[in-house]
Amino acid sequence: MSDATLVSTPETPAVLPAEPRPPQPHDSNSLISMRDIWKTYQMGSEQVHALHGVSFDIPKGEYIAIIGPSGSGKSTLMNLIGCLDTPSKGEYWLNAKNVSEMDDDELARIRNQEVGFVFQTFNLLARATALHNVELPLIYGGIGSAKRHEMATQALTAVDLADRITHRPNELSGGQRQRVAIARALVNHPSILLADEPTGALDTHTSMEIMDLFERLHGEGNTIIVVTHEPDIAARAHRVVSIRDGLIEKDEKIR
Amino acid sequence: MYPPIFVSRHLTQMQMLTRLNPEAGKVAAPGRKRSASFLRLTALWDAFLVALGSLRQNKLRTSLTLVGIVVGVAAVISVVTIIQGLDNKVATTFSSQGSTVFTISKRPQIIKSREEFIKFNKRKDVTHEDAEAIGRLCSACWRVGVAANVRETLKHADQKFENVNVRGVTPTAMFDIDGRAIDVGRIWTDAEGISGREICVVGPDVLTNLFGGASADRVIGQEVRIAGRPFQIIGVLEPLGSIFGASRDSVAYIPYSTYQKIYGARDSIVVFIQVPGAEQLELAEDQVRTVMRNRRGGLFNQEEDQGFALETQDVFLDLYGKATANIYLVTIGVAAISLVVGGIVVMNIMLVSVTERTKEIGIRKAIGARRKDILTQFLIEAVMVTALGGAIGVLTGFGLAYLIAALIGFPLLISVASAVLGVGVSSVVGIISGLWPAWRAARLDPIEALRSE
Repeated sequence: MSDATLVSTPETPAVLPAEPRPPQPHDSNSLISMRDIWKTYQMGSEQVHALHGVSFDIPKGEYIAIIGPSGSGKSTLMNLIGCLDTPSKGEYWLNAKNVSEMDDDELARIRNQEVGFVFQTFNLLARATALHNVELPLIYGGIGSAKRHEMATQALTAVDLADRITHRPNELSGGQRQRVAIARALVNHPSILLADEPTGALDTHTSMEIMDLFERLHGEGNTIIVVTHEPDIAARAHRVVSIRDGLIEKDEKIR
Repeated sequence: MYPPIFVSRHLTQMQMLTRLNPEAGKVAAPGRKRSASFLRLTALWDAFLVALGSLRQNKLRTSLTLVGIVVGVAAVISVVTIIQGLDNKVATTFSSQGSTVFTISKRPQIIKSREEFIKFNKRKDVTHEDAEAIGRLCSACWRVGVAANVRETLKHADQKFENVNVRGVTPTAMFDIDGRAIDVGRIWTDAEGISGREICVVGPDVLTNLFGGASADRVIGQEVRIAGRPFQIIGVLEPLGSIFGASRDSVAYIPYSTYQKIYGARDSIVVFIQVPGAEQLELAEDQVRTVMRNRRGGLFNQEEDQGFALETQDVFLDLYGKATANIYLVTIGVAAISLVVGGIVVMNIMLVSVTERTKEIGIRKAIGARRKDILTQFLIEAVMVTALGGAIGVLTGFGLAYLIAALIGFPLLISVASAVLGVGVSSVVGIISGLWPAWRAARLDPIEALRSE
């Protein structure tokens, strides 16, 4: 447990998050503040706890990797952080908003404004151009078309794809596709960039390019969360949180 | 400490800048705010563009859906157009006598019951004297004529032509009142008409059936036997064609005096009154009614039978309208079923489309599409396809109707109303059949949807 993980204040002493403890008020200095998060699924007659009582904080501007084997609950945690799902129990504060009590449409709005997703399989609209793919979050954000075009072009330029804006995904290489996805994730200037195995579908060389890009984006002040099972990828982050059996096993600052 | 980012549903541009640079937000916190209705309009326009994009990206699916709706709308439009054309033809046919003619007769042309028939039969016959009185006393009347009809068999040499309408008329202006014109030959003179000579003017069907289709000028002067008496053909009428399969050219006009000589005054006649213009019609009808009531013994009491029937040609149109209304309803109903089938096709394809695009829906939801956005997108897609299908269907329908009209031979009426209705109805079909698939799409769980392939 590093000192940077929790900002110590008289009210919230820095304690190990995995330890059982009484509910704490969320840390208003953190961008992400999870308090005793449980996620329970009903499998037939049995209750399966994917997460049992996870608590941690992520300050603004941090580059963090969440690592764990499959079945550890890291996907569930990622879905919760990305506001694709809500916890069965516990509080999740994202950018000073209590996400854990939101309904579907409010969550959609949070995803649109606060979260930029980067997926393993890119998840671009196959038949749409790079520009249209990047414009998509802005459409749902209610940005006018001229402004949208400008912002999307900027975002694509920022990932060195200015000359590919009219290309469709199938006309782009894997690395280029992932960069389109990153541009799409960043175009709305979200609070967090949430990447799920971002290099899982890429060769080593391209993977390194993408990780270099993440580093650059982090340097520009973005908060980046990478969910992965690859130690190499996790090693690029500044802090690594290891998940096992629905609990935080280790939380260490490595850089 | 955080700027109130979610005051409006969407970020304003100023707040976007706040995001980029938190310092800027503190200075310009109120920002420039767009009105809610403007945002809604923009959102709808964007939804339209999204739908348009996805329709263009799935050309095969779009065209399949189009076919479904085109067939339905085309069926309805062609049926409606043909019916309107038919109606129009009937209306013009019946009003060939014009709206300036009305008749006085013993019995109305349409009798609705046995009781009525008995009642009308008790009436006094309408006679030649009645016609004379009308001609003398009705100042608003222009021309007055009488006509009596009988179905008769015509013979020439060894040829027979049965069920010919033999029409005794006077004066010769009756040809004009009937809307008939001479093709070849002549009409009899007034002197010939009064003298009761056995001469006749025949319709073209008589030539076909008795003279082997000989040309009209070779028939003039020939003899034809009506009720066993020899009549000389002095003229042939221009054809009027048939209506509902009944030929209006199977006719022989003879002078009324001749008709009386053969058939006596055993049946009532019909008095035809023509006024110079439609505006005099009402006055003339009042005058004629007064004359007739006086001649029938001054029965002014409305409760009692006035003893005669005064009719314009509208009665035919009314009867036609009543008789065909239900047939049309059924026909349009059958055509409408194909539109329903079209709607089901749309629903089916939209459902397939939702299943096929589960991943896409997942992506859209992950990056911030709300249920409403997805619902709107799929609904707009459905409506766009069906509205476009409706438009193409309307054009195809008109084209079909045009072809059929050209084959049957009647003038075509293309109405803007039915075109608008066609597109409108198909759009409604689109909404109805798109609703369920769109709702299913909107309800998808983003995590599940993203996982699908």
